[in-house]
Amino acid sequence: MPEQINPIPDCQLTWVFGLLETLEDRGGRDDGYRIARDLQFNFSDLLRVMKAAELFGFVSTPSGDVVLEPLGKKFLEFDVNQRKLLLREQLKKLSLFAYFIRLLRGQPDHSLPKEIVLEHLAMLLPNESPQKQFNTMVNWGRYAELFGYNKDEDRFYLDQE
Amino acid sequence: MALLDLKHVSKGYPHNKGVLPVLEDVSFSVEQGEFIAIVGPSGCGKSTLVRIINGIVPATSGQVLYNGRQVDGINLECALVFQSFALLPWMTVKANVEMGLEARGIELAERERIASVYIDKVGLDGFEEAYPRELSGGMKQRVGFARALAVEPKVLLMDEPFSALDALTAITLREELLDIWHSPDMSVHTLVMVTHIIEEAVELADRIIVMSSHPGRIAADIRVEIPRPRDRRTDEFNNLVDKVFSLIEERT
Repeated sequence: MPEQINPIPDCQLTWVFGLLETLEDRGGRDDGYRIARDLQFNFSDLLRVMKAAELFGFVSTPSGDVVLEPLGKKFLEFDVNQRKLLLREQLKKLSLFAYFIRLLRGQPDHSLPKEIVLEHLAMLLPNESPQKQFNTMVNWGRYAELFGYNKDEDRFYLDQE
Repeated sequence: MALLDLKHVSKGYPHNKGVLPVLEDVSFSVEQGEFIAIVGPSGCGKSTLVRIINGIVPATSGQVLYNGRQVDGINLECALVFQSFALLPWMTVKANVEMGLEARGIELAERERIASVYIDKVGLDGFEEAYPRELSGGMKQRVGFARALAVEPKVLLMDEPFSALDALTAITLREELLDIWHSPDMSVHTLVMVTHIIEEAVELADRIIVMSSHPGRIAADIRVEIPRPRDRRTDEFNNLVDKVFSLIEERT
């Protein structure tokens, strides 16, 4: 039985940080719909932000509410480099990231051309846009200094471990 | 002595054989370490004003003194952050950050060292070789901040730095700006931000300069006494927002 790989929501990390700040300002809990309305932020985008924040263990989402969890609170207290470290640990736990870390480790120079990565994504997640999954993975991976991508050399690689 | 001193600054542009006045008799000073917000409706000349302080646009009359002295041309102690990010699309993040250093004649090895310091400060580590089109708006503006900070200015000028960003991104970047401002190892302690968002001015600034339009004049100069961190949901906060709003309304 092959392991289950879950897609990641198409979401900017800066949105996740903004959601955590917003929750802290609101006493740690609020209704997702109210946050979207107050901030004039697209609600379906906010659902993806909530989903991402939940994947990182920063919030929980009981019945439409968003609740700031201890790890999310800790993240807010951290400086930028501590934030990157914490996020790196959380990303490593995601099945999609774990899959590509393993795949890249198996390559002689810990790198792959983008086209190969897209083929893996298309195979693993047939219902998702491989390009979107790739872009999000690169953006999150770059922030956490876990993955790098060099467009000129067309090289997706392990940044550091 | 004030760090910046604007004395009777006016700016007009030639128009139909006459002069179109954009700014009229603007005088105020900025102390070392202050965070000033300039607010006003569009057309009040606030974006022109910040460029006059920087020296890229000359005033028609009046003076801008820096440390008591008039600066001819561009003031190298100031750096400007733009609403539109103003990044070069064919250059990587790292090259965009180094750009201002190259213009100041700093050699390659030193440019690379300084750029990496400020890329680190704004959280862009890992994005060095990315191109602007690969970045979200928030990441692009972090590049804008890193590029401005890399020249190690004494004054950071910002023209609507968060206005092109969605609400969640703007919240994050405002917090990061306050962290930079309070960071003891930064050279820049004095900030001048132009914004049309009154809540943003009340949340961030020590002082708000309210401008009226046609032509741009100072309508009020208000000290924000609300302790930090400022909570947007308090009466104190909202009363000040209302006050600034009514000052703009009255004069426009």
